[in-house]
Amino acid sequence: MDAAVRELSYAQAIQEAMAIAMEADENVILMGEDIGVYGGAFQVTGDLVHRFGEDRVMDTPISELGGAGVAVGAALTGLKPIFEFQFSDFATLAMEQIVNQAAKIRYMLGGEVSVPLVMRFPAGSGTGAAAQHSQSLEAWLAHVPGLKVVQPSTPYDVKGLLLAAIADPDPVMIFEHKLLYKMKGPVPEGSYTVPIGKAEIRRQGSHVTIVATAIMVHRALEAAIELAKDGIEAEVIDLRSLRPMDTGTIIESVKKTGKLICVYEGVKTLGIGAEISAAIAESEAFDYLDAPILRLGGAECPIPYNPDLEKTAVPQVDTILAAARSLLAGRL
Amino acid sequence: MPSEVILPRVDMDMATGKISKWLVPPGATVTKGQPLFEIETDKATMEIEAEADGTIRDLVDASARDIPVGSVVAWIDAAGEAAAEKPAAAEPAPAPPRGRQQDEGAEQAVAESPGTPKVSSGGLARVIGRERATPLARRLAREHGIALADLRGSGPRGRIQASDVAAASKPVLLEPRPARSIPEASPPATKSLFAAGDSTNPETTPVAASAAPLSPGSATLVRLREGDGTPLVLIHGFGSEANGWRPFLTGQSFTGPVFGLDLPGHGGAAGNAVAGFDDLVDAAESALLEAGLKGAIDVVGHSLGGAVAASMAERGMLDVRSLLLLSPAGLGPEINGGFLQGYLGATSETSLRPWMLELVVDPQTITPALVRATLKARQRSAGVEAQRRVAAAVFPDGTQCFSIRADLARLRMPVRVIFGTDDRIIPARHAAGLPPLVALHLLPNIGHMPHFEASEVVTTILNQVIDPQR
Repeated sequence: MDAAVRELSYAQAIQEAMAIAMEADENVILMGEDIGVYGGAFQVTGDLVHRFGEDRVMDTPISELGGAGVAVGAALTGLKPIFEFQFSDFATLAMEQIVNQAAKIRYMLGGEVSVPLVMRFPAGSGTGAAAQHSQSLEAWLAHVPGLKVVQPSTPYDVKGLLLAAIADPDPVMIFEHKLLYKMKGPVPEGSYTVPIGKAEIRRQGSHVTIVATAIMVHRALEAAIELAKDGIEAEVIDLRSLRPMDTGTIIESVKKTGKLICVYEGVKTLGIGAEISAAIAESEAFDYLDAPILRLGGAECPIPYNPDLEKTAVPQVDTILAAARSLLAGRL
Repeated sequence: MPSEVILPRVDMDMATGKISKWLVPPGATVTKGQPLFEIETDKATMEIEAEADGTIRDLVDASARDIPVGSVVAWIDAAGEAAAEKPAAAEPAPAPPRGRQQDEGAEQAVAESPGTPKVSSGGLARVIGRERATPLARRLAREHGIALADLRGSGPRGRIQASDVAAASKPVLLEPRPARSIPEASPPATKSLFAAGDSTNPETTPVAASAAPLSPGSATLVRLREGDGTPLVLIHGFGSEANGWRPFLTGQSFTGPVFGLDLPGHGGAAGNAVAGFDDLVDAAESALLEAGLKGAIDVVGHSLGGAVAASMAERGMLDVRSLLLLSPAGLGPEINGGFLQGYLGATSETSLRPWMLELVVDPQTITPALVRATLKARQRSAGVEAQRRVAAAVFPDGTQCFSIRADLARLRMPVRVIFGTDDRIIPARHAAGLPPLVALHLLPNIGHMPHFEASEVVTTILNQVIDPQR
């Protein structure tokens, strides 16, 4: 790859991916609340309205259901809309269009049409946005066949996965952790894709497998560095895609380590950690487990506004460290 | 079964505790509900009662500080039970197995042979029940013929872990075999999260849980046909098993009995640490000797099994009357490494079939039923993981790292080699330059499985060898 590599923030990488897709294909359009002259709630669309005009960068009214419905309809006509939610929490308002329409239309019409729609969801806690603007609801959508759901954790991946999502003929939901927007990393110029449905091993290790999503990947890696000082080598897997889920990579890893910790920000109960745990228990890796599987997820409560409580409500580096140490010391 | 006395959690924040005082001496008879010891936390001291009747033993030293919650601090034997074994948690064994600590060191220990089942000592009247053990420990115990009931777990609440099973097969777990080259996890390195342009998974080496006690294993003899006369022994190729000969045998008649060998890690033969070609020859030789095949035998070997047969015959421990080698390995360095990997990795009929097609010229030979049967056999067999290790030991980097040419030159019994000219696994040119006493049949337009694709020719040659009168 000869393309120049620059340091971009996660938000800039998203904007660049959208611009590349819009340059390449006039059917690609942006929709969302305040994404025009305001540049988006998290300034992700920025000045794209000036580059591509209001016909292709459309401010939608404050109605997620209406906006999402128009986006699904636009996709059915052959356009490729990228619909931005201001907060993933507002997916609740658009559930009919996402779950009953976007996810089902291709199936209901016998494959005659598809819905080439991308939806972007700023998600997660840590910004002091309180209970109605801090949730991690990705598992909800990952439960719906017909949708693809990804959670990129790096600027490189978010650009590649977004371009893969735009090229995908079916609806793809991208959950972007709000704390990642300002995080920087190298991103090549030009177009490239990261495959949907493929996990990435971020660090190799032989003692315990830690599967993490989004911001938790970074916390798990920090914890892994600390654990290495104790001689514990953690293998950190960035799940990247929830649906389809790359269980094969996790199975191979668990066969190597015999121990598994799942770390995710969504509420622990009935979350993606349960899915990963069950997939491992059902797989050939079961016979390699030498300790209980652990899930570290969000607390069973709304995300608190109080900053200390907000931190406590989701796994932090220390949480991961303590769990891994207990597991490796044979205390669990 | 003896019951554990556990250090309980008596306080919400409590992770460890201290026994301030035992209220009973070791060996005392206790009854359920009787106070056993006092536990001291930051906030309080409280008495802990017995949960079972019996004789208490193996009391943790009351001076021990910071005992983790859930640890076993004593055992209570029910009436009639003898204190035959010491709980691992209460008193470390005099010579702890290497790396018994949380470090996975013990798990690198290597078994020289499957552990002999530990016989329950002291006639413990054990209740047969569900032992608390991890799935990995259960699997290892199963593979090594060790009864979980005979083990004491070092894990939380006495859970048996892989290291406990490894320790139980200790007599055979001492020195790692030098030649064993199991790819250890590569040097840990945090790959930059933001590594540009590299979004592919790094190669992960699928290594069986590092905890597995390893054994080169032994070969198993399978009787495929009854008969009276000189026994015929069939040795399969890599990834196959004794039963793989059955299609070839269909419709054939032999006077003598027919045996098939399962090489280590294949079919029903355990063995996950074959360190080299010689281990396979050792295993095959021992299995035949142990089966009492001391008289004359005829041996047919295919591919890797052909090399094993030739090398075994050269050793002279067995009276090999004739040798028929089908597409034998060990005649040159090349082997189709992609096939080995693809075949080993295939988990479905769809992915297995293209690799099986590599074995033959005529795709019709590979029927859906054969693919299905092969896949089923693989799922039943000692394990793909074990075979991966065999491949790593004898075909590292897609290279045959052993040779039977010198062996062949020394053999004096009739030896015939059959190669298909279109073999895509081992090139037929390896058959060039064989020793003068070795006869070569080169079958045109045939692949790696002459006994499948040209079974009539192979049968005729086999009969010429084993029954010259016919």
